[in-house]
Amino acid sequence: MLRKFVSGFEMAALIAVAVFIGMLFLNDPTAPPATPTAVVEAAGGIDGGALYGKSCAGCHGGDGSGGIGPRLAGKVVVKFPDPAAQIAVVADGRRGMPSFGTRLTAEEIAAVVEYTRTVLGS
Amino acid sequence: MTDVTAVPAERNKGTIFAGAVLVGALVAVLAGVYGRAHDPASETTIKLFFTTTLHFKSWATTAILLLVVMQLFGALWMYGKLPLGNAPDWVGPMHRFSGTLALVISLPVAYHCLWSLGFNPAPSSSRRLWHSLFGCVFYGAFVTKVLVVRSKRMPGWALPVVGGVLFTTLIALWLTSSLWFFRQFGIVV
Repeated sequence: MLRKFVSGFEMAALIAVAVFIGMLFLNDPTAPPATPTAVVEAAGGIDGGALYGKSCAGCHGGDGSGGIGPRLAGKVVVKFPDPAAQIAVVADGRRGMPSFGTRLTAEEIAAVVEYTRTVLGS
Repeated sequence: MTDVTAVPAERNKGTIFAGAVLVGALVAVLAGVYGRAHDPASETTIKLFFTTTLHFKSWATTAILLLVVMQLFGALWMYGKLPLGNAPDWVGPMHRFSGTLALVISLPVAYHCLWSLGFNPAPSSSRRLWHSLFGCVFYGAFVTKVLVVRSKRMPGWALPVVGGVLFTTLIALWLTSSLWFFRQFGIVV
C-alpha cells in the first residue's frame, strides 16, 4: 500500500518536473511598462524604465508589484508626496534597500524616481 | 583462484557510474546555461501564505533541508549504520517519499531562481555566484543520484559519494540563501 502510494507520488513528481521545464520556456514575463516619450524627454533623454528594469525590478518587481522590496505601483506617490524624499531613499538606501548613490548618477536616480511615480505609481 | 571476470565487471561499473555523472553534469550545465541565457523576468511567482516569494523560498529550502536530513538518517538506517537494528519495511518507501517530496518542493524555488533571477555571475556578490553554482550542482547531483539508485550495476561506493555530494550541496544552498535571508530580514513568515 505504502509502496504503491510512493510510486504514484513519484509519477506525479515526474509530471511536475515536466511542467516545471515547460514553464521555464513557455511562461513569458510581464515586460515593465515602457517609459512614455514625454517622461524620457523630461528626464533629459534618460530612460528611467530601462534603468528600473536593471536596478530595481529584481526587488520591486517588473511591474512594481513588489517582491523582496515593497510594492511601488499605486503606493509610491502616497508614501513620498515629495519626490526629493524618494530620491534620498534611492540614493542613500534604507534598511534592506541598498544605496544607489554611487551606482547611478543624480540624473539617472531622478529619472528612475520619475518613472516609478508617473508610470508605475499610477 | 582469481575470478577473471571480476576486473572487467568492476571497470564496467566504473564506466556506468561515469556515464551517470556525465548526465548529471549535463543537467547542471544546462541549468546554468538557461539561467545565464534567459532574460530574468524579475517577477514574483508563488508565495502561498508567505509575505513574499523570497520568504516562501527561504522556508521551502529549510523544509527541504529537514527532508534531506531525514533522507540521511533513513539511508544510514537502511545500510545498518545506526545502532537501531534492522530498518523496518516502511523506512525504504519513506526514504523514497521524502526525497521525492524534497524535489517537488524545490521546483517552485528553482523556478523563481532560474526564471525570475537567473544565474548570477556578478563578482560583486560572491553569495549570489556561489548560490547559483550550488543550485546547478544540486540538480546535477540529484539526477546522478537517481540514476545510481536505480541501477544495479554501480560501484558500491557510488551511492554514498553522490548522496554526500547532494547533501553537502544542499547545506551550501541553504547557507547562501535561507540563512542569509533570515539574518537580513529576520525569521518571519
